[in-house]
Amino acid sequence: MNAAADNKIIVVIPAFNEGIVLKTIVDELALLKYIPVVVDDGSRNDLANLIDQKKAFVLRHRVNLGQGAALQTGIEFARRLNADYIVTMDADGQHDIASIPSLLEPIFSGETDVALGSRFLVKADTKVPAKRRLLLQLARIINFLLSGFWLSDAHNGFRALNKTAFEKIQLTENRMAHASEILFELKLRKLRFKEVPVRVVYTEYSMHKGQSAWDSIKILFDLILHKLFR
Amino acid sequence: MSGIQLVLLTGVAFICLYFVIRLKKKLLDLVLLLLMIAAAVALIVWPDITTRLAKVLGVGRGADLVFYISILIFWFIILKLYDRVRRLERSFTDIIREDALKKAITPSNETEPGQ
Repeated sequence: MNAAADNKIIVVIPAFNEGIVLKTIVDELALLKYIPVVVDDGSRNDLANLIDQKKAFVLRHRVNLGQGAALQTGIEFARRLNADYIVTMDADGQHDIASIPSLLEPIFSGETDVALGSRFLVKADTKVPAKRRLLLQLARIINFLLSGFWLSDAHNGFRALNKTAFEKIQLTENRMAHASEILFELKLRKLRFKEVPVRVVYTEYSMHKGQSAWDSIKILFDLILHKLFR
Repeated sequence: MSGIQLVLLTGVAFICLYFVIRLKKKLLDLVLLLLMIAAAVALIVWPDITTRLAKVLGVGRGADLVFYISILIFWFIILKLYDRVRRLERSFTDIIREDALKKAITPSNETEPGQ
């Protein structure tokens, strides 16, 4: 099953002020022969010092631009490294590395160009906190209104892309609105996509790093501006 | 002439002075500016003009008409400024990104990242 040994699978991890959990993620990814690319989005402390530099590429934004910008930088870098496949995941430990193969599977089989992780397609142990669940439902409706795609999980950064997809997709939304922007891109570039169940682990740490209700208002505002000034 | 007219005219005079000093090179801008100044002065000296215009448009007072139009103009300006900010942000992002890509740290044993 070890597809990572035959293909160049680059895992892009946008990171901002992360803790030791990032080191663990990089270690585990490297062990499974994935190639981690950490994009330090202008953290207070240089994240390159936090992780094992033998195991990952590290890029650093000199100022904080936002997760969307960090993702795009990572994707750009992966293109230059001649990636075969790109996986994107959060740096806060929310995303379970064990889910990567299931994300990649429909791409390997040629069924789809992009696999979007969904925490709501998992039958068992979906312990999404109630407040988070409500926000995600609202985001779902907004995404549908703006993109026409009815997804089960609106804001999940756990994704996999094949070459056709990552050569075309261009994220211009620097902050969190990238999660909706990627849907606009999928539509515009006529890329196939599929939602794949992934496990999302909520820890106190990840909840603390996560989005608040106020953040979602800011995302909505960014989205409206995005549509106004294309 | 009433007090408010003096205050407004002084303000217009200062704005005019400021722009003339800054824009003296561009003739078209200067002409446009002088036209706007002339309009402002005319409306301040003969406020009846706005009142008559307001009546035509079905607004009670001239001052109200000016107020409504100002709101529209301010909204327009805010949106234009946001657009400008976003474009600035985009070029700023490109620069930061280019810098990050250039200075990427490569793992010391690149061929075997799994080690």
